[in-house]
Amino acid sequence: MIGLIRSLGAQATALIAGLGRVANFGGSIVIALLKPPTRFGFFIRALYDAGVLSVALICLSGFTVGMVLGLQLYTTLTRFGAEEGLGAVVGLSLVRELGPVVAGLLVTGRAGSAITAEIGSMKSTEQLDGLRMMAIDPVHFVAMPRALALTIAMPLLNGLFIVFAIAGAYGIGVSVQGLDGGVYLSGLESAVRFGDDVGQSLLKSLVFGLLLGLIATYKGHSCSPDAQGVARATTSTVVTASVVILLSDYVITALWDV
Amino acid sequence: MVFKGLECHLRKGEIHLLLGGSGSGKSTLLRMIGGLQQPDSGEVRVAGRLLSGLREHELGEIRKGIGMLFQNGALLDSMSVLENVGLPLREHTKLTKPEIAERVKQVLHSVGLEDVEPLLPRELSGGMLRRVAFARAIVMEPQILLCDEPFSGLDPLNVSRIEDLLTRLNEELGLTIVVTSHHMASSLRMADQMILLRDGACIAGTPEELAASDDEGVIGFLGEDGRAFLALLHEMRDRGPGSAASEDRV
Repeated sequence: MIGLIRSLGAQATALIAGLGRVANFGGSIVIALLKPPTRFGFFIRALYDAGVLSVALICLSGFTVGMVLGLQLYTTLTRFGAEEGLGAVVGLSLVRELGPVVAGLLVTGRAGSAITAEIGSMKSTEQLDGLRMMAIDPVHFVAMPRALALTIAMPLLNGLFIVFAIAGAYGIGVSVQGLDGGVYLSGLESAVRFGDDVGQSLLKSLVFGLLLGLIATYKGHSCSPDAQGVARATTSTVVTASVVILLSDYVITALWDV
Repeated sequence: MVFKGLECHLRKGEIHLLLGGSGSGKSTLLRMIGGLQQPDSGEVRVAGRLLSGLREHELGEIRKGIGMLFQNGALLDSMSVLENVGLPLREHTKLTKPEIAERVKQVLHSVGLEDVEPLLPRELSGGMLRRVAFARAIVMEPQILLCDEPFSGLDPLNVSRIEDLLTRLNEELGLTIVVTSHHMASSLRMADQMILLRDGACIAGTPEELAASDDEGVIGFLGEDGRAFLALLHEMRDRGPGSAASEDRV
């Protein structure tokens, strides 16, 4: 029994210490953001890697999710004679929930893991130590531009995901199932409010991007400097960021309506 | 624990050779001098400044005067040779892009490399990569140069080139150089002081002192051949500067 309590205590202490280290690292990124030089070139490169290279995946996934949503919802709504509500239901579910969450999870798998692997590999080949020896802060040089790029890219990719998903649902609902296109679009337009729904969507994706940026760069910086350590850190980024995105989604949703 | 009761002083303007078996802590000691690792207890001082407890930006100020060559080069693999070697200049000087490019060209030339500026590290051979890393370590003309295995992976011509360059930097600029190397001949030719790490402590002295040492650890590490080489080297040094060329044939 004492052993169990001791083990729980040790785990809790380790968790708190870990959270402290993440917070400390996050603080370093914020400080780095305020310090010159701006690292604009690195930021643009990171934005390209995290954002532009994710566009095809986001568009294709968005369109597919929209198609499935259109098919499922049309069939369900038809049972209640409410198929005219397809546009409204698709719009609300995508803008408020599915868009930010699914885009967040996709970007985590594609860009977040890549950033952790890249930084971890830089650590294992002493590139980060090399920067330190040149009196260059690795957080400023490596982590900050990437974390910022993920934070900026996420809302943009979220928007793209939603647009393609709405188009996918339109394709199935209107072109395949025969719903009137005007009914679909007017339902969508009247249901989705800019301030409440789009605002919530943007906030969520911004927070998800921020959290993913922090987790991905922290895991890369703190991994053990060997192949196994980098692999573990990459997996850990995907798992941790996915859980954190889902949890924070609930928190934001709950707080938004308060 | 790598070190226990280790106490060594590295004199300004001299070339120090760190010797020791694998795992004896040569690289760890270099990293401690560079402030990349802190000792669990005890202290490391560089130019009189205690490194323990310094913040990263304070260490950064000290590191501006230190160049370090890592064992695997540690070049940034997403940047070209020009960007890698020019990086410290870009960060810490007000030189313009053309001036940086010119300085990089000069330093690369001094390590025997020409027209490699646009290449990425993955496009370089092992020897070229080490020389580019060496160029990056000296581009800021630091006061202290830490070299972890500078001759590893180099052909004899380039070993000789880097050896000459290190000696010249030491003589002309008064650079303090700390070298770990298994390339005994080159290292012994250059070294003013040798530090043998053994059982967490060190035995230090000039090559001549170590050659004459009766310590079992020194004899065990250098072997009879090493001691004979040192004795011969000692003789050649006594004959004067003109003997340097003939040392290559030792």
